[in-house]
Amino acid sequence: MKPMAPFPVVFSAAVEGPTDEVVLRRVVESRGAVLGPVFGKTGKSNLLNQLHRYNRAANLSPWIVLLDLDQDAGCAPSARAAWLTTLAPQMCFRIAVRAVESWLLADRESLAAFLSISGSLIPATPESLSNPKETLVNLARRSRRRTLREEMTPRPGSGRPIGPAYTSRLIEFAQTQWRPDVASHHSDSLRRFCSRITELIGNQA
Amino acid sequence: MATKSAKPLRLTALHLENWRNFTLVDVDLQQRVFLVGPNAAGKSNLLDACRFLHDLVAVGGGFKEAVVKRGGVSKLRSLAARRYPDIAIRVKIGSDENPAAWTYEVSFAQDNRQRAFIKRERVTKAGVTIISRPDDKDDADPERLTQTYLEQVNANLEFRAVSDFLKTIRYLHIVPQLIREPDRSVGKINDPYGGDFLEQIARTTEKTQKARLRRIGDALKVAVPQLADLALWRDEIKGTPHLRGKYDHWRPQGAWQTEEQFSDGTLRLIGLLWAILDGTGPLLLEEPELSLHPEVVRFLPQMFARIQSRTGRQILTSTHSTDLLRDDGIGFDEVILLRPSAEGTTVSTAYDRSEVKALLDSGLSMADVVIPLTRPAHAEQLSLFGG
Repeated sequence: MKPMAPFPVVFSAAVEGPTDEVVLRRVVESRGAVLGPVFGKTGKSNLLNQLHRYNRAANLSPWIVLLDLDQDAGCAPSARAAWLTTLAPQMCFRIAVRAVESWLLADRESLAAFLSISGSLIPATPESLSNPKETLVNLARRSRRRTLREEMTPRPGSGRPIGPAYTSRLIEFAQTQWRPDVASHHSDSLRRFCSRITELIGNQA
Repeated sequence: MATKSAKPLRLTALHLENWRNFTLVDVDLQQRVFLVGPNAAGKSNLLDACRFLHDLVAVGGGFKEAVVKRGGVSKLRSLAARRYPDIAIRVKIGSDENPAAWTYEVSFAQDNRQRAFIKRERVTKAGVTIISRPDDKDDADPERLTQTYLEQVNANLEFRAVSDFLKTIRYLHIVPQLIREPDRSVGKINDPYGGDFLEQIARTTEKTQKARLRRIGDALKVAVPQLADLALWRDEIKGTPHLRGKYDHWRPQGAWQTEEQFSDGTLRLIGLLWAILDGTGPLLLEEPELSLHPEVVRFLPQMFARIQSRTGRQILTSTHSTDLLRDDGIGFDEVILLRPSAEGTTVSTAYDRSEVKALLDSGLSMADVVIPLTRPAHAEQLSLFGG
């Protein structure tokens, strides 16, 4: 019998929002796996409410749940313990420190080119930032491109921390220019996330 | 570096008195506006006030025509109007830097033969009054008050910019069935329901048309991945234009389908994308979310924002969609809430109401706050209709 071509492992996932989905897809694909259906995407509190259901599903097939730590706990391990006590065998439960934006910030060269800013403006240790989203918005403020500034930074009076097309621009960056492998050298939480995915893929073989 | 292009004018504020179901409206308008409210709260009526101004200056329009088209003054006047029964519309026109570059105001009532006549018409430029009617000539000849100065080229010379701007307002509420059966709306021009939509596409120059259809085709692939190509062709016998799309499937060449076979969602999305690319003036949209998948709807606000940062075009849209309002980039001042009461519908931005502001500031999404607030009082009763 002809040996079958090895087909890639398909992960199901649940995330907070549309940007996380794209980031996750890039990370999973960089490990040679495929991202299948992605659930949630209606905010963190909804995701936390459903967490134990996703965990139950991870008894049967490989799953990834990705959450932002934000300001909810001092560090990822304590948040993890508070949110989900026992992990199903095929569950990869990851918390980005403090938000998935810090993973994007970790590829400084690409981000500087995308935002049209000098690379030296981008902090070298993204995981130490208390609010990476705010950092990104402030970096966009320095952009040499007017459209980027208008789209990513909030208009006075909008009452929002981000601009009207911040999400769309971030998705564009994550999809086209961000390099997960490079970023993982500068972000411990991303690096550990990548190795956990590789480990789960190994378990499937 | 590219020079910053001047952004087009937009409506920056709207004031209404006794207009349809509103006794009084006073609201600022941003570049992007979402109107949210229960059914029959008056979202379309609010948009219609802008269309009314457009109809004043449109080809074949004018004051009399605009009132008659809407069933006369008695149909337009709010039922809650009492002591001051005149209908009034006032808009500010300008930009972020100069929100009141112009103001235009018209108020009207009807005489005892049920004919509409103008009670007041006023134009200001940078705060200085240019026109204030009734003037001496109107006193001498009251018949003059059946026409606005706005609609007359002889009279609007000093504020032609206002008239030209109002002409660019466009309203769109695509009804897919009308695109498929254009015979139903023969002779209509710029029909907001899409009756002459294909003719509109055919009227643009070939170069523009091809460029736009290619862009639309690319954007459509997100929602309709199997759609490979989009083009316009003319039926050689009847000469009628048709859209056709090439769908990928198991046959190596794929298969061409015309608009008759397109789904409702595909046609609505094509109509929406075309309207966004066509023109520069304020675009009024009715529930762009209809027939679209929630994951597509969710990105509409972002798409509008990106178009606007390029062109500066104003987009006012009514919506019932939780998915659309879930977007974190929607400013609190971009959402206008309509809430019915015995004294007509009240209108405010989401941020003007303290209870809404408190909830939004606490981190709830716009959808989580606004949809429950604008839900009909006894929506659950509808289930009892089933018996």
